[in-house]
Amino acid sequence: MTIVADRLARSFVTGRRRARRVVEAVQGLSFTVEPGERVAFIGPNGAGKSTSIKMLTGILHPTSGDATVLGRCPWRERRALTRDIGTLFGQRSQLWTELTPRQSYRMLGAIFGLDDRRLDRRTAELGALLDAEDLFDVPVRTHSLGQRMRCELAACLLHEPKILFLDEPTIGLDLLAKQRFREMVVRLNEAQHTTILLTSHDVADIEYVADRVIVINHGRLIYDDSVDRMRREYFATKLIEVGLMHPVDRFETLGASVVHQSDLSIRLVVDTQVLPVRDVVDALLERLPVADLSIVDPPLEDVIASIYRVRSS
Amino acid sequence: MTWSALARAATTAARRTLAQPGLAVVSVGFYLLVTAAVTSLWRSAAEAHGGEIAGYSGLALTWYIVASEATVVAQRVRLIEEVGTEIGSGAIEPELLRPVAAVGVRLATEIGAVLPRLVACLVAGAGYAALVAGAPIATGSIGLALPSIVLAVVCNIAAQHAVAAASFWVRDAKSAWYLYHKFVFIAGGMLIPLEVLPESFESVARLLPFSAMAYAPARLASGYFEPGLLIGQALWTAVMLVAAVAMFARGERRLTAAP
Repeated sequence: MTIVADRLARSFVTGRRRARRVVEAVQGLSFTVEPGERVAFIGPNGAGKSTSIKMLTGILHPTSGDATVLGRCPWRERRALTRDIGTLFGQRSQLWTELTPRQSYRMLGAIFGLDDRRLDRRTAELGALLDAEDLFDVPVRTHSLGQRMRCELAACLLHEPKILFLDEPTIGLDLLAKQRFREMVVRLNEAQHTTILLTSHDVADIEYVADRVIVINHGRLIYDDSVDRMRREYFATKLIEVGLMHPVDRFETLGASVVHQSDLSIRLVVDTQVLPVRDVVDALLERLPVADLSIVDPPLEDVIASIYRVRSS
Repeated sequence: MTWSALARAATTAARRTLAQPGLAVVSVGFYLLVTAAVTSLWRSAAEAHGGEIAGYSGLALTWYIVASEATVVAQRVRLIEEVGTEIGSGAIEPELLRPVAAVGVRLATEIGAVLPRLVACLVAGAGYAALVAGAPIATGSIGLALPSIVLAVVCNIAAQHAVAAASFWVRDAKSAWYLYHKFVFIAGGMLIPLEVLPESFESVARLLPFSAMAYAPARLASGYFEPGLLIGQALWTAVMLVAAVAMFARGERRLTAAP
C-alpha cells in the first residue's frame, strides 16, 4: 500500500475562554491507496480535505488515529518522507516571479539534494512530458496562470516523488488551462506511475484525472468508489445553458427538462442515462437560434446531497 | 548537502535581487538621500563643537553614518511583518515539506537577497563620503569594517526571524517590526554614535544585541581599530542564529501538534 489512513481524526480549538470551541475537522477517516492510483479526494469547502492532506504529508499531527505513507508515519518522519512525496498547493507558489523557472529549479534541486547533472536530466524530461520546455527560460512573471501551474507542477516533480499531492491545483485557471493541466497529470501518472491524490471541488477535475473518488463531508468519508461508478450513479445529469439570438416559444425535447426559460436563454437538465447529451445538443442547434451554448456538470454540493439521499434511503 | 543547498538558495536570491534593478536603484537613492542629510547634520554639529563630538571628527562621523545606514537600509524594513504574515496565514506550510529546515532556507535567501543591495549602497556611500569629506581615516579599521558589516546584516536578519517566529503563538507579533527598528535606530547606534548618548543609556545599549547590527561596523568604519567589536558581533550573531532556529523549531512543533 502507498497510503494507509486508519481512523484519522483531527480537531481544532477556536476562540478563547467562553468562546472556546472544538471543531472536528476530520473524524475517523480510513482508506488505502495502491501504488499508481489516481484518487480524487473531494468535498465542499470546509469538508476536511486540506486537513487530511496535511496529516498525510506530516504538516499536521492527528488528534487520534494512524497513517502510513510509503511505509512511514508522516508526522513523525516528515523530513525523510519529503524526499518521496511532491506537493502542489494551488495558491502557493514555489517559483519566484522575477526569475525563470530553471533558476528556481536550481535552488529547489539543491534543497532536495539533486546534483546539477541529475537536475538537468530531470528538467529536460519534465519539459518534454509537460510540454513546458520553452517556458523554463522565461521569467515566471510573463507566464499566464496556466503556464505557471505547469512550471509549478514540474517544480514539485524535480525529485521524482512517488506520490503527488495536488491540493486544488486548478483553482483560478480558465477552462482550457484546466483541461491542459488535467491532461498533464494523467500523462505523468501513465508515464512515471506516480500515485496521484487530488483534492478539488471541481467535478470535472475528478472526471478527467481520477479513476477512484473519495468524498468527504463534515470530516467523514461518505463515498469511496470508482469514478465510473460515481459517474453512473451521481453524474447522470448535465446542465445545458443556451443563449438565444432572439426569443422563441417554449422548447421541449425528449429526455431533457427545461428548468428555466427567458427571452434570450434556456436552461435544461439532461438525464444522460435516458438520452446522450449530444442528441440534445443536436436538437437544440437544429431547432433553436443558438448564440451560445455551454454544458455544465452538476455542482459538487448537489452530488453530495444525492449521495446522502441514496445512502439514507 | 544542507550547506550547499543554503549556498544555492542564497545565490538564487541574489540573482532575484539583481533581476529587479529598479528596486535596487530606489534603495540606493533612498540610502544616499538619508546618508547625505544625516552626515551633513553631524558635520555641522562637529564644526560647532570645535571640530569633534565624543571623539568623532566630521570625517569620522561621515564614514560612521555611511556604514551604519548601509547595514540597515539594504535590508527589507518590514521583514518581521512579512515573515510573521506568512507564518500566520499558513503560507509557510509548504516549506515544511522540504528536506532542509524552512528557517535555514529563509535566512539564506534573505542574506543572499540583501548582499547585492548592500554592496551597491556601500559603493555609492563610499563614493559620496570620499567626495564630500575625504578618504577613510585608517585602512586597517576599514579592513575590519567589511566583515563587520556582513556580520551586522546576518545578526539583524537572524534576530528579525527570531522575533517574527513569535507569530507562531501570537497573532499580532508581526507588528513588532516598528518597535524593533526604533531600537536599531537608537540603541543600535544607527543614527547616533553610542558615545554621544547619555552615559547610563550608552551602558545599557552596549549590552544589547542592537549595537552589533549598526554601531560595531560604523565605529570600525569611522577609523577606530577595535577588533573586540568584531568578536562581540560574532557572539551576538551566533546567539541570534540559534534563537531564530530554536524559535522556528518550537513554532513548527506548535503548528503541527495536535491540540
